[in-house]
Amino acid sequence: MATKKFVCKICGYVHEGETAPATCPLCGAPASQFEEIKPKGLLGGKDSNAYIILYSVVMVVLVAVLLAVASMSLQKRQYENALNEKKQQIVTALGENPEQVKYGDVIAESALIDKEGNIIADKSEEDVFEAMKNLKGSIAEGVYPIFRTADGSVVVPVYGAGLWDAIWGYVALAPDMNTVKGVVFDHKGETPGLGAEIATPKHQAKYVGKTIYDGEQLVGITLKKGGAKESDSTFAHEVDAITGGTKTSDGVTAMLQTCLNNYKPYFDAVRNAAAASEEALSNALNTENNEQ
Amino acid sequence: MSSKSLKYLTEPLSNSNPIIVQILGICSALAVTVQLKPAIVMGLSVMVVTAFANLVMSLLRNGVPSRIRIIVQLVVIATLVILVDQILKAYVYDVSKQLSVYVGLIITNCIVMGRVEAFALGNHPWASFLDGIGNGAGYASILIIIAFFRELFGAGSLLGFRVIPESWYIDNGGVYANCGLMLFPPMALILVGCIIWVHRSFNKDLQEK
Repeated sequence: MATKKFVCKICGYVHEGETAPATCPLCGAPASQFEEIKPKGLLGGKDSNAYIILYSVVMVVLVAVLLAVASMSLQKRQYENALNEKKQQIVTALGENPEQVKYGDVIAESALIDKEGNIIADKSEEDVFEAMKNLKGSIAEGVYPIFRTADGSVVVPVYGAGLWDAIWGYVALAPDMNTVKGVVFDHKGETPGLGAEIATPKHQAKYVGKTIYDGEQLVGITLKKGGAKESDSTFAHEVDAITGGTKTSDGVTAMLQTCLNNYKPYFDAVRNAAAASEEALSNALNTENNEQ
Repeated sequence: MSSKSLKYLTEPLSNSNPIIVQILGICSALAVTVQLKPAIVMGLSVMVVTAFANLVMSLLRNGVPSRIRIIVQLVVIATLVILVDQILKAYVYDVSKQLSVYVGLIITNCIVMGRVEAFALGNHPWASFLDGIGNGAGYASILIIIAFFRELFGAGSLLGFRVIPESWYIDNGGVYANCGLMLFPPMALILVGCIIWVHRSFNKDLQEK
């Protein structure tokens, strides 16, 4: 059996044995001045390894539980916020005020289309917004979200790279799949006052009425350095670039070019169908005229 | 409230202000002060984090093994910051988008860590809590002053409301233009310098000999 330890309160002498010594061999203090040194508890004090490990484990578990609960209870709200923002931007792209017009009032249907421009069957609105959540990944996979209004206008999301980080937005096209009804751009970290100007209504208003097709070629919209000039033959596909934000402007140009071209098969199909029905209509009219 | 507790609150506002006297937390002071609204939210977030980090660490101070106390502090601060970030995302989504990474970076804000290490580990919970509030408020007040000037002269608005009339601008036939430099972080640093200058000229005891 281990012996007990006693320390003299006067001089600090430590005696080992079953009981305290009658007098202290160093300073001569009586036994009453001796105090037993109790062995430390199971964990052996605040600075022992066992205590530190136990402390860390308990702390980490507590924190993990706390954060998990917070994250789960707020997740729904956060997701709704993100979703709501997307819907508002879609409404804004169509030139409506999102505070007055709800997403559900203008968008009649949402769909995913593939590289050939065919609508992928059996996709609910939730699936579309799921694809929107990771737009970059969806585009890489060849799945493109599209939103259609009752009158045949469409809104397509675009995604690209600005000067510093990602830029994205929505382009609304009139039923002719050529005229821009409106655009909305947003960015992660473009320079405030320069590149970040792409997110301002002032810049975005310039796109309204521009056309993305030059003949059969889908050219998108170019942000022209030095300003778009009416005398140029390409004026219909150009807007002013951002002063001092050339790289961001180039990024927007490239984004519109690539992303809109993803939808080209679909746009072409709609345009051809429209042309065909027009032709059929005029043919019918002609026949009628001939008969008369 | 006793005069001593009051001192915990008021001291960091001026004489030991974290930004202009201790020169801590400069990074975020430059980054989130382009507009007033994010600056206010950032200031409040830092205040909440310093106050509660101080409170929690002060409650734990007798049980924390000194060898891992810095790690424990980091865990406590990081937890609080994540909670603040989650709450901002859920309830003020647009502001949380503007603050983006800077809320997460409160974890590395020297003010929080500094107050926990220097004050909370050696003081009672209530005093520590007040000290946290005081330092957060000291930080927030400087952010708000800087953001006020940057938004006013950089964008001509305050809290998003137009202050300088549109008709003054050169674009609309006036003579005024926004100061583009105000929108960039270096100007915030210059403003911090100006505030320190003004502050020290009123507080002679802070001036170095």
